Amino acid sequence: MTEVLHSLFHVASIIILIYFFFINAFYFLFTILSLSGIFHYRNLVRFVSFKDVFRLPLVKPVSVIVPAYNEEKAIIESVNSLLSLEYPLFEVIVVNDGSTDRTLEKLINFFHLEKTKRVFRKVVHHKPVKGIYTSPSYPKLVVVDKVNGKKADANNAGLNISRYPLFCAVDSDSILEKEALLKMVRPFLEDPEKTVAAGGIIRLSNGCTFNSGQVAQVKMPRNFLARFQLIEYFRAFLGGRIGMSMLKSLMIISGAFGLFRKDIALLCGGYRTGTLGEDIDLVVRIRKYLHEKKIPFDIRFIPDPICWTEVPETLGTLARQRNRWHKGLIDTLLHNLSMLFNPRYGVTGLLAMPFYFIFEMLGPLIEVTGYVIFVLCLIFRQLNHPFAILFFLVAVILGTLLSLLAILIEEYSTHRYPRLQDILIISLYSLLENFIYRQWLALVRVKAFWDYFRGKKEWGAMEKKGFAEAR
Amino acid sequence: MSSALIITAFSFFFLLSFSAFLFIFIILRRMVIRFQEKYYGRVYRLIEKEVLDVISSTEPDRPLQVAYKYRSHPAVLTKVLLDYGDLLLGQAKKRLTIIFNHVLKDKCLKGLSSRRTIKRLKSARLFIIFFEPAESDYLFKLLNDKPSVKLTAITALSRIPNLATLHFVFKAFEQDNGSAVTSYFNIMFGIGNRIELLVKLYLKKPLPPEKLALLIELVGAIPLRSLYEDITVFADHPDKEVRIRVARALGKLLIPDSVNILVALASDEAWEVKAQALTSLGKLGNRATLDILTKSLFSPYWYVRYNAGYGLANMGEEGINRLKDIAAQKQDRYASDMSHMVLGDLIYLEEAA
Repeated sequence: MTEVLHSLFHVASIIILIYFFFINAFYFLFTILSLSGIFHYRNLVRFVSFKDVFRLPLVKPVSVIVPAYNEEKAIIESVNSLLSLEYPLFEVIVVNDGSTDRTLEKLINFFHLEKTKRVFRKVVHHKPVKGIYTSPSYPKLVVVDKVNGKKADANNAGLNISRYPLFCAVDSDSILEKEALLKMVRPFLEDPEKTVAAGGIIRLSNGCTFNSGQVAQVKMPRNFLARFQLIEYFRAFLGGRIGMSMLKSLMIISGAFGLFRKDIALLCGGYRTGTLGEDIDLVVRIRKYLHEKKIPFDIRFIPDPICWTEVPETLGTLARQRNRWHKGLIDTLLHNLSMLFNPRYGVTGLLAMPFYFIFEMLGPLIEVTGYVIFVLCLIFRQLNHPFAILFFLVAVILGTLLSLLAILIEEYSTHRYPRLQDILIISLYSLLENFIYRQWLALVRVKAFWDYFRGKKEWGAMEKKGFAEAR
Repeated sequence: MSSALIITAFSFFFLLSFSAFLFIFIILRRMVIRFQEKYYGRVYRLIEKEVLDVISSTEPDRPLQVAYKYRSHPAVLTKVLLDYGDLLLGQAKKRLTIIFNHVLKDKCLKGLSSRRTIKRLKSARLFIIFFEPAESDYLFKLLNDKPSVKLTAITALSRIPNLATLHFVFKAFEQDNGSAVTSYFNIMFGIGNRIELLVKLYLKKPLPPEKLALLIELVGAIPLRSLYEDITVFADHPDKEVRIRVARALGKLLIPDSVNILVALASDEAWEVKAQALTSLGKLGNRATLDILTKSLFSPYWYVRYNAGYGLANMGEEGINRLKDIAAQKQDRYASDMSHMVLGDLIYLEEAA
């Protein structure tokens, strides 16, 4: 019996060790690529004046689509920030997705909106529109009031009502920096035929102060959960997406801030309703469609257009958010399973899909299995104590090292946390997150599998504080 | 000790030292940057003050004095000259050019042929501010460089729009493909109507449709009215994109004779061409086209109806009356809805005014 158990644990440990090696090798590869990418980009923007390029007639107008559901706390600040964007021609379409709070009322009162008889082309399906509002004082703003159909449905309504060839999907609790759209549109100018989508960077607004729809002062969040998420966002955006973009395998453009070619999005049927990961789903379907049609394309990640967004500060809200994200990932990957390891889909089928499937989707399951095996080994006295302790320390240090590399990339890129004290705090939290927080997140994501296969697809309530005014 | 344990222990100590080194590097780098920022900030302010003094002073030796005083700070001096050089013209710029010539020019010329792209780019950025037209040979060499350097060189060449430099821009436009083409278009647009002769010449060349479309767009965007006849010959071009650009350019040139061509384009087989032609007809404001615009409001294509509606709105009172009539009719709900929307927008515009 002991022999069998020993062999079983041995095989399981080896599988987990191989997995551990490959996942970290991939993360290191992406981080190193990101580092070289950021050097190149930094030098490029330092000596090339993009503003000259943007004063030009070929800049395509953009429709900014903002789905809003119960966002009364942040909506005015967010819309004000969008209306103050520096861009030659754009419109802001706020889609009130059947909010049960005072979101619409606040918008109507603040922006002096009036109901209009605007007509639009219904290219993609969405729930009925109850009214379209515009304002003589804010001609760039359009507010759509519709029956609740969730975020993807609201985005589809925005897509139908939008007038311009590019659209930018922005979360209603987010704030864009003034020149974010200008920076984001650059690849569409450089290569208008091939560029179909671009993603910007998401930063935490928790702790920051705001003035007239713009960040007045960047500060560290005070909440410990927000600090952990700060590191995660560094790693995801600076360490991961730049590298993936360089390998032409970027699959996620955050729903909080992404710019797309409208014709391509419409050809793919717009956003898929009924999924919780409408952002990754759209990008995957765009990739699938373009590979199938053999149309050369590029999906880029631009490291300096910044979108500030509020992250959850309570365990419950964070768990609901991560559960939803993981269910969205599972749903999208399973929905497009035919792309996995399929050479027809080029780099998407052979690199991006396998990476997301094996490491991002199954990652938490394997991580938790590792913890379970550890406990079983302990119970059945099969544990090699010195090895287990050393292996755990290696995992902690590897995690910390990846975070430190992401901090280094941040230092070379936008450099938004100027105080030395901030870097010390971020470094400390990058070590601390390996204890309890990381394991808890893995459990939350494992629960997402359970919820997904049980058919639980609700969005989950998000508690928001809104943006703090600068004094 | 087993070999697995030894490897793990070795990995741990290696990763630990690497992390510690990285952490120390980040902190030290931050401290050095902070110190540099303070130091350079102080030197920058000193140089800036003296440079502003040079600009306003009438003393002939003043630029030379400043040049020699700060030659040991080329990086900061470069920054000041980059910041102010582009903003100034005439006598003031000439005085800054003296500083540049005495302290930075040799370095800059060396930098233009450096192996490092960034150095070439940095040198090119400075050189384009202060170079003389006679020195444009240096820039021509950069035209075979990487896109970012090439773009900088072309931007510089566009500042001296003599025939030789303009030829370079157009030749590059003809030869290159991909993203660079858009950049050339932007530069040509920046030069303005001085490119008229060259546009005329290149419109006659057998260019691919996408480049031809850009040249036609340029005629409308600048606008180059004398090239009206040169672009109308493309109104029946087999490529849809070229016909769209002709329709758009005609809407910007606003030449009354173009009505007939636009009317023909308004009956094009492609709805995109039709829609664009209707917008341009609306801008021309010829009352003879009211019927075409009215009829187009009943088109099965949404964009055609949309552009026809706003085209009618541009026609003044008669157009608005037509919109009111269509809004009131019940046979075609789509045309009625579109008219309602356009009329609603007109009311808003008046309120906003």
